[in-house]
Amino acid sequence: MIKLQNIEKYYANKGVKSYILRHVSTEIKQGEFVSIMGPSGAGKSTLLNILGMLEEPTYGEYNFMGEDVTALKERQRIELYRNHIGFVFQAYHLIDEMTVAENIEAPLLYKKIPGSERKSRIADVLDRFNMVAKKDLFPNQLSGGQQQLVGIARALVAQPSIILADEPTGNLQSAQAEQIMELFKKLNEEDGITIIQVTHSEKNAQYGSRILTIEDGVIKEDISVNGL
Amino acid sequence: MFKLNLKIALRNLFKNKVYAAINIGGLALGLTAFVLLLLFVNHETSYDKWSQELKNVYQLREYHDYATPDNRQHWMEANESRIGALVTDKIPQFKYVTKLGQGWGDGFSVKPDNANPVIVEDVRDADSLFFKVFPYQFIQGDRLTAISKPNTIVLKESLALKIFGTDKVLGKRLNIIMWRDDPGTMMTVTGVVADPKTPESVKFTAITHTGDREKDPDHINSSNHCEIYALANEQLDTLQMNKTLQKVYVDYKKSSFAKRKITFDDYYKNGKRPGLKIIPLKDAYATPSFDKNWMDKIKPIVALSVFLLLVSIINFVNLATAQSVQRAKEVGVKKVLGAYKKQLIIQFLIEAVLQTLAALFICVILVEVLLPTFNNHFDVQLTFWHSEQLPSLVLQLFGVFALVSLLAGFYPALILSKYNPVKVLKGNYETGFKGIALRNGLVVIQFIIAVTFIIGIGVMYKQTSYVANKDLGFNRDRLLNISANYNVGDPLVERIKKITGVKYVATTTQVMGNSFNVPGEITYKNNDVEVNTVTVTMDALPALGVQVLKGRIFSPEYKQDTVNTAVLNETAAKLLGKNLVGEKFNQGKNIFQIVGIIKDYNNEGFDKAVLPTVYRVTHLGGMSSTNNMLIRFESDNYTSALKAVEAEWKRTYPNFPMIYTSVEDAFQKSMEATRKQMQIIGLFSVISIALSLLGLFALSTFMAKRRTKEIAIRKILGASDFQIINMLIRSFLVLVVAANLISWPIAFILTRSWLEGFAYRIDMPFWPFLIATVVSVVIAVFTVSLQARKAAVNNPVDALKYE
Ligand SMILES: Nc1ncnc2c1ncn2[C@@H]1O[C@H](COP(=O)(O)OP(=O)(O)O)[C@@H](O)[C@H]1O
Ligand SMILES: [Mg+2]
Repeated sequence: MIKLQNIEKYYANKGVKSYILRHVSTEIKQGEFVSIMGPSGAGKSTLLNILGMLEEPTYGEYNFMGEDVTALKERQRIELYRNHIGFVFQAYHLIDEMTVAENIEAPLLYKKIPGSERKSRIADVLDRFNMVAKKDLFPNQLSGGQQQLVGIARALVAQPSIILADEPTGNLQSAQAEQIMELFKKLNEEDGITIIQVTHSEKNAQYGSRILTIEDGVIKEDISVNGL
Repeated sequence: MFKLNLKIALRNLFKNKVYAAINIGGLALGLTAFVLLLLFVNHETSYDKWSQELKNVYQLREYHDYATPDNRQHWMEANESRIGALVTDKIPQFKYVTKLGQGWGDGFSVKPDNANPVIVEDVRDADSLFFKVFPYQFIQGDRLTAISKPNTIVLKESLALKIFGTDKVLGKRLNIIMWRDDPGTMMTVTGVVADPKTPESVKFTAITHTGDREKDPDHINSSNHCEIYALANEQLDTLQMNKTLQKVYVDYKKSSFAKRKITFDDYYKNGKRPGLKIIPLKDAYATPSFDKNWMDKIKPIVALSVFLLLVSIINFVNLATAQSVQRAKEVGVKKVLGAYKKQLIIQFLIEAVLQTLAALFICVILVEVLLPTFNNHFDVQLTFWHSEQLPSLVLQLFGVFALVSLLAGFYPALILSKYNPVKVLKGNYETGFKGIALRNGLVVIQFIIAVTFIIGIGVMYKQTSYVANKDLGFNRDRLLNISANYNVGDPLVERIKKITGVKYVATTTQVMGNSFNVPGEITYKNNDVEVNTVTVTMDALPALGVQVLKGRIFSPEYKQDTVNTAVLNETAAKLLGKNLVGEKFNQGKNIFQIVGIIKDYNNEGFDKAVLPTVYRVTHLGGMSSTNNMLIRFESDNYTSALKAVEAEWKRTYPNFPMIYTSVEDAFQKSMEATRKQMQIIGLFSVISIALSLLGLFALSTFMAKRRTKEIAIRKILGASDFQIINMLIRSFLVLVVAANLISWPIAFILTRSWLEGFAYRIDMPFWPFLIATVVSVVIAVFTVSLQARKAAVNNPVDALKYE
């Protein structure tokens, strides 16, 4: 599904190149649950952003579902966002002026899904996340864990093939974090959604099927997890 | 999606109530000024459009200097009456040509049988073809024959209702008394025409047909002036027609001069030239003979309204982009969810449209509320909902609305939609926060406008108070001007003179409020000098209270004064030379002796310079009877004396009510235009300053918010509240000072050109500049510090906790 070859990323500052990612090559298959780990500043977020096409690599090849990402036009990229990629952020990034239901509805609007189907999909997701009672609340009326659930619901409702999550539990207490991780695992196993998450926690990483460790912009380790 | 975007927009507006109120309110004010202007322009351009047939009606204009205010040639509406017959004869394209007398005096007395007389203005005498040229709609009577017989009168419906209370008045008789001792002419009402719904440049309340307009003066040396209108077979090529007319006119003048034994070159010298042309009737109103036309007059107001609208749009743009920090996350997230840039732009445009719509709504209410005051103040009849041109007005409003929405909404929409999601989502709003330079530029523009307004109002105030207190050169209080002619030995005058409290009764062709300038050429020591000639009675100069500089003014003691003496004003004296008293000059065959020189006195507004003037008592100077009967009272409390004068008048002329004004009122009227101009600029200044300050206030609020974290950290590092306030103010202060520096020269140029419109004016004062600067800086600092203080005294921990 994803194929990275020799990805490099650097920022040139006064003629000095500071590398953030070097020679990153890897492949991620449909249905994998990958955790990216590594010390702060190692380049994890940068890698995830590149995977999510939010940033462009300075060098290297990136294939997403058989398409060369560097050759994509903006419109095509947006189409990928609409149909295949769901983002989950550490800071949730819900739209403050929208209610829970409206936040979840937003991606469906861009996908031009008809109203009746939107309603039933939102209802499904709310039900599944036990948030029906909260659907008319605004983000600032929810706890952090609840907000992140909405964030995930929003990513899921468009039925993406892959979810990219940058420290999704970074702002949460461990009980809430566990709930989110269980959810990811379930989504991965039952719905076959590919998940790539960045995490600091060894424990959370164990929920996935594979751990990539990055240090100083280089993949140091790539191990599979065979359950606990 | 539209619904959701609408909802978000409303929630956002609600969340930032103050911001939204400032934005919408400001825009509403700007729009209101603009819409009022629009209404006014619509009104002014709607003249003579009340019938399709008027398209083929043309007004003739002759180029001459007869009865012009500055004694120079102008394209006058009053033509020599013989031109009527001339063009009827020579121009086959004219189907009908009609001659219309100019209304004169201050109205005629109209007396129905068995009822009191009333003074009616704009009763005008026409030849029998008037209604063939002007397609007025007859409610009563027959358009084609109504004024075919002499001594018939056609009333406008409004006048019929005023006099008789009904429009069923055919056959009724009216005595038309044109001046006080006119025995009157009995006229039969033969028609009533509807008042057109849109304004007319050919103003009348009634058209009389005495028959006088049918004929020209018998003697070739006398002439008679009237307006001439022609109905053409079709729409004419005016350029072509005017060439023909010019030729016809020159030929006519030549043959006329031949009969009068004048040579053409003798008459047309020193730049004088012959001229006759037509202009389409619909252009007549916008092309006054002298005076600026309405478009030139309202140019400053147009500029002001546009500036005001600009200021409010700038506010809108500024606040919207400043607020964009708050919207950055929304944009970032939406992009990641798959929104196209176009969709985001549309979303933000819709928000702008929404606010503009609200502003437009308020504006419509404001216009409705303000219109009566506006009409009253500017003496116009504007309507909004009941306007004849409502459809086109709605279209114009829609245009303005679309333009404002686009101007106000597009830039912020573009800025917002350009946010790079990664930067925003990383929490790095600063780099996603664009347009600071532009916003600063806009604030500077706003303040340039505001400061220029303040300076302008200061200069105008100085000039008006200078003019209001300036010595007119004569004494204008206790002076009354009765609209009546005056003949020496008039029994009424003699009786009025005997009333206690009356000091002088006199007449002059030239008094404030009713000046009649008669150009003349005098020869002094072989020099020909163009002057203005004024004919007065013996008492006129003392009655006016003019100041004698040299020699004496007229007095009954000197028999010679009724024969051939003259008094000059200072300006005329300067033209002639020194030591003039006792010297003689020629005018034509007549010789006059200069007996005195008086100080210049103003008889028109201060925008006009006093003409070099020669005053004479004798008819040799060309006595023109004008309707000025001046009465100077002994004391300020002249009410009872005035009552006695009125009673005396009524006893003598029961059929002609006395018309009068005080010269003080006439003087106030001459300053009215300037005063109104100042009031409107004052109003605009206040609004534009208020808007700029509101904008600055809101902007500083957002600035303070944006820098909350920075402020908190600085405080933790040990900055004092004062230092923080200082830091926040400084960035704005630079802008305000820059705006001041730019507006000084702009204001200087503008106010100087305004001052140049006055013949009597102040030197450019300095203090309005200083005050404008001090005021703008002080209020700006005050406004910003309101917010800065709040931001500075916050507990830093609160600010950092949420990061
Ligand atoms: N715009 C930028 N310019 C220069 N350096 C950057 C920029 N963005 C990120 N970096 C650097 O790239 C490195 C990797 O960042 P990031 O991928 O966010 O690390 P991680 O998520 O692993 O903590 C950091 O050292 C950071 O300072
Ligand atoms: Mg990171």
